[in-house]
Amino acid sequence: MTPELDRRTFLKVAGATAVIIACGGAGQKATGRISIYSALNESTNNQLFAAFTKATGVEVSVLPLAAAGDLQTKITAEKNNPQADIFVGGSSEFHDPLGKQGLLEAYQSPNAKDVAAQFKESSGLWTGWYTGIFGFISNTSRLNKDIGGKKPATWDDLLDPAWNKKLILPDPIKTGGGYIFIATQIFRFGRDETKAMDYMKKLHANILSYGPTSPGVITSISNGEAAGAPNWSHDILTEKAKDPSKIDLNVPKDTGFEVGAVSIVKGTKNLPGAQAFVDWVLTKEAGDLNVKLSNRGSVRKDVSPAPGAPTLDQVSLVNYDRQWATDNKTRIQKLWQSAVGIQ
Amino acid sequence: MRSLRREPALLLALLAVAALVLAFIVYPQLNVVLTPGPGGYVQFLQEGTWLVPLRNSVELTLLSTTTAVLLGFVYAYAMVYSNMRWKPFFRLVGILPLLSPPFVVAAAYTLLFGARGIVSYGVFGQSPNIYGLMGVWGVQTIAFFPFAYQLIADALSRSDPRMEQAARNLGAGSWRVFWTVTLPLSRPGLGAAILTTAIYILEDFGNPQLIGGVFYVLPTQAYSLISSFGEYTSAAAVSTILLLLALALYLGKVRLDGGRSFVTISGRASSMPRPPVSPAVSLACFVACLALAGLILLVYGSLVVSALTLRFPNNLQFTTEHFQYVLSGTNGDALRNTLVFSGIAAAFSAVFALFAGWLVQRGQWPGRRVLDLLLILPAAIPGIFFGLGYLTAFNQRWLDFVDRGWLIIIAFIFWNIPVGYQAAVAGLRQIDRSIDEAASSLGASSLRGFREVLLPMLGGSLRVGFVTTFVRAVTTLSLVIFLFTPPTTVATIRIYQLVGDLNWGAATAYTVADIGMAIIALSVFAALARGRIALGAARA
Repeated sequence: MTPELDRRTFLKVAGATAVIIACGGAGQKATGRISIYSALNESTNNQLFAAFTKATGVEVSVLPLAAAGDLQTKITAEKNNPQADIFVGGSSEFHDPLGKQGLLEAYQSPNAKDVAAQFKESSGLWTGWYTGIFGFISNTSRLNKDIGGKKPATWDDLLDPAWNKKLILPDPIKTGGGYIFIATQIFRFGRDETKAMDYMKKLHANILSYGPTSPGVITSISNGEAAGAPNWSHDILTEKAKDPSKIDLNVPKDTGFEVGAVSIVKGTKNLPGAQAFVDWVLTKEAGDLNVKLSNRGSVRKDVSPAPGAPTLDQVSLVNYDRQWATDNKTRIQKLWQSAVGIQ
Repeated sequence: MRSLRREPALLLALLAVAALVLAFIVYPQLNVVLTPGPGGYVQFLQEGTWLVPLRNSVELTLLSTTTAVLLGFVYAYAMVYSNMRWKPFFRLVGILPLLSPPFVVAAAYTLLFGARGIVSYGVFGQSPNIYGLMGVWGVQTIAFFPFAYQLIADALSRSDPRMEQAARNLGAGSWRVFWTVTLPLSRPGLGAAILTTAIYILEDFGNPQLIGGVFYVLPTQAYSLISSFGEYTSAAAVSTILLLLALALYLGKVRLDGGRSFVTISGRASSMPRPPVSPAVSLACFVACLALAGLILLVYGSLVVSALTLRFPNNLQFTTEHFQYVLSGTNGDALRNTLVFSGIAAAFSAVFALFAGWLVQRGQWPGRRVLDLLLILPAAIPGIFFGLGYLTAFNQRWLDFVDRGWLIIIAFIFWNIPVGYQAAVAGLRQIDRSIDEAASSLGASSLRGFREVLLPMLGGSLRVGFVTTFVRAVTTLSLVIFLFTPPTTVATIRIYQLVGDLNWGAATAYTVADIGMAIIALSVFAALARGRIALGAARA
C-alpha cells in the first residue's frame, strides 16, 4: 500500500466518521458535487480543491473572486435561491455578517474542537482555518540606497524623515488591509484615537501614494515606485519567491492579523458534501497544503509554517478587537480623512 | 408615423419595447434602489461620507467631459472633413481606447508615466505623482473621447454637403462655414455626445480606482464599500446618488436641445462632394490625430511587450509562456464565452436601440419622454449595480432552467442600449419627416417605412450601437462580476483573477488576446455587413 493511498483511506474514514457524528448517526456519505465561492488565490484554489476531491470523492465547482466582499455581497443577493454551498477564504469579518443575517448554516466540525476559541464562531456559523499577519515589504535596492538599509522594527520607525515620500500604504478607504493598518494603530495606542490619528497624520507626510488594492501595492514596491509598504506577509513572501534579491519581508512590533474562515451557505443542496469540505480544510493535510501554496499560517498547531513565514506566537501582536474595528469603521475612516486633510 | 389606433402592429411593437424596458431596466434597478430602505438612506445621508466623493465626481465629470468631447470633435472633424492620409489606420486606433479592460490599461499608464515609469523616469528621469485628479483627468480623456468621436462623426457625416457648398458660394470662408453651418447642424450629435460621455465618465470606476489615489469619486466609493467591506446597503445608496446625477444631466440636455429642427437630409437626393478644406487644415488634422494615435499605441504597445516578456518591466527576456498559458486547458473557454455573449448582445442591442429610437423620435404617443429617459439611464448605472440588480431580480428558482449565459447576454444588451439609442435619435432628427410621409402616402405602414426607407439611411447609427455594445461587453468587468458562474466565466473575469494573483504577464497576454479577438471579430462583422447595410462602410 502506497503512503498516499494510506492517507486517502484514512481521510475517507475520518471524513465519513465526522459526517456520521455530525448528522447524528444518519449515516449519509458525502458524495456528488459542491459549489464553492472562494476568495483564495487562484493557484491555491486549483490544487487545494483537487486534493479535497481526491480525499473525499466530492467534486467541486469553484467560483473564484479574490475580493471577499464581492462574494459576501453575492451570497446576500442570492439569498432567495442560494447558488453556493461553501464560502471559503477571506477574513472572518466577511463571514460574520452573513451569519448574523441568518444566511449561514451552523456546523461544529469535529475537526474544529482543537481550534482555539478566538479563531471560530462559537455556534459554528464560521470556522477559522488559516491566519494572515500584517507585515512590511521593502524594495531591497531602494532600502539600501534611500533609507540606509534599515527595515522598520516598529511602526513608529516609519515616521523617520528618511522615509519621506518613499512609502505606499494600501488605501484605508478602499482596502481591508489599509483599514486594518489604522485599526492596528488605534489598538497599539490603547484605543487613544487622538494619538493614533496623530501618528497617521505624521505618517501621511512620508507616504507617496495610497494604493487601490493590497496586492497592487506589492507590485508597485517590486517595481521600485517606492521603498516600502505595510502589507500582508504571505503575499509578500509569494512575491519574494519570484525574485528573492529584489524585495524582503519583516514584521514590525505590535502588528495586526486576520483569521481566514470557511462557512456553509444556508440552503445548500449538498449539506453532507459541504460539511465534508469544512471537515477537510481543518485537517493537517489541508493545512499543510495551504501553507505551502499561499504562505499563510494554519490554526492547527501541528502544521509547520512556510519557510521564512512569521507565526502568531513569534511576532508581537496588538490586542486586535475585530468586532470593535468592524463596528467603528465608518467613523474611523472619516476621522482619518480629516486628520490627513483629504476631506 | 400614423396614430397608434390605426396601426395595431405598431401599438404591439411599442408595448413590447415598453415591457422589455420595464422588465430588464426598471425592475432590476428598483431592487437596488430599494435595498437600503428609508432608515438606511437616512443613516447613510447623515454619516456624510458621500459629500466629498460627490463633489469630486462632479468636478471630474465636468473636466473630463470637456476635454474628451473636444478631442472627439477634433478627431471626428479630421475623419469626416479633412483630406488627411491614413484614415483607416486612425479609425482603428480611435476604437482602441474603447477596448480597455479595467485594471489593465490604467495600470499600463502607471507603468509608463508613473513614479518609476518607463517614459517618465526611464526617458525623462522624472518621478511624477500621477495619482490624483490630474492623472484620472488625463486617462479619462483618452479613454472616453472615442464615445464622443463615434457619435459626432456619425452626425457630421450625415450633414448635407450642399448646405456647406451653398455657404461657400455665398462667400463664407471654411472657418465661417464651420462655425455657422457645420457646428449648428451637428448639434443633436454633439448634445448626445456630451450627455453620453458625461454619464459614462460619471459612472467610470476603473480609472479613478487605479490612479485616483485619495481622490475618491462615487463609483470608487460604492465599489470599495462592496469589495473591501461587504457593505451592500451603503453602496446601493451611493448608486442612487449617481442615478440622480445622471437624471440631472439628462434634464440639462433636454433643455439644451429645445425643439429645434436639425434636418439636413431632405427628400431630394444629393451626390455633391463636400467642399474641400485647405491643405493646411488637413495637415493640422493629420498631426493632431497622429499625436493622439501615438499615445494610444504606446499604451497598447506596452501591453503587447509585457505579454511577450518574462517579467515586465524588470525582465524583458522574450517568452511565449504567457500566451501558452492563455491557450492552455480551459483558459480559452472564457475568451469563447466573451465572443459569443458579446456578439449576440451587440446584434440585439443595436437593432433594439434603433427601433426604440425610431418609436420615441417619430412617435406622437404620451409617455415618450419617460421611455427616452429610461433608455439613457442604464449608462448612469455602474455595472456592478446593474449586475447586482439582475442577480437579485432573476436568481429565482423558477428561472433555474435558463442557462446563466443568457442572464449575462441580456444584461449586456440593456446596459449598452444608451449609445446606440442616442445615435439613432440623433440620426433620425437629421432626416426630414417628408421622407416618412412619402413612404406613407405610397401606402406603406409605419413599420414598413421604417424598415425599408429609414433603416438603410441609419446604417451609421446602427454601426455605432453595434460597435459600442460589442466593445463594452468585451471589456466590462463590473457588470459580470456578480453574474458569472464557473461555466460562464468571461475574459475580463480571468484577467481580474490574474491581476489579483499578481500574474501580470498572463494578465496582459489575456488582455492582448481579448482585444485582438475583439478587433478581428469587428472586422469580420464589418466585412459581412458591407453592401447590405452601411455597417462597416461608415461615410467618415
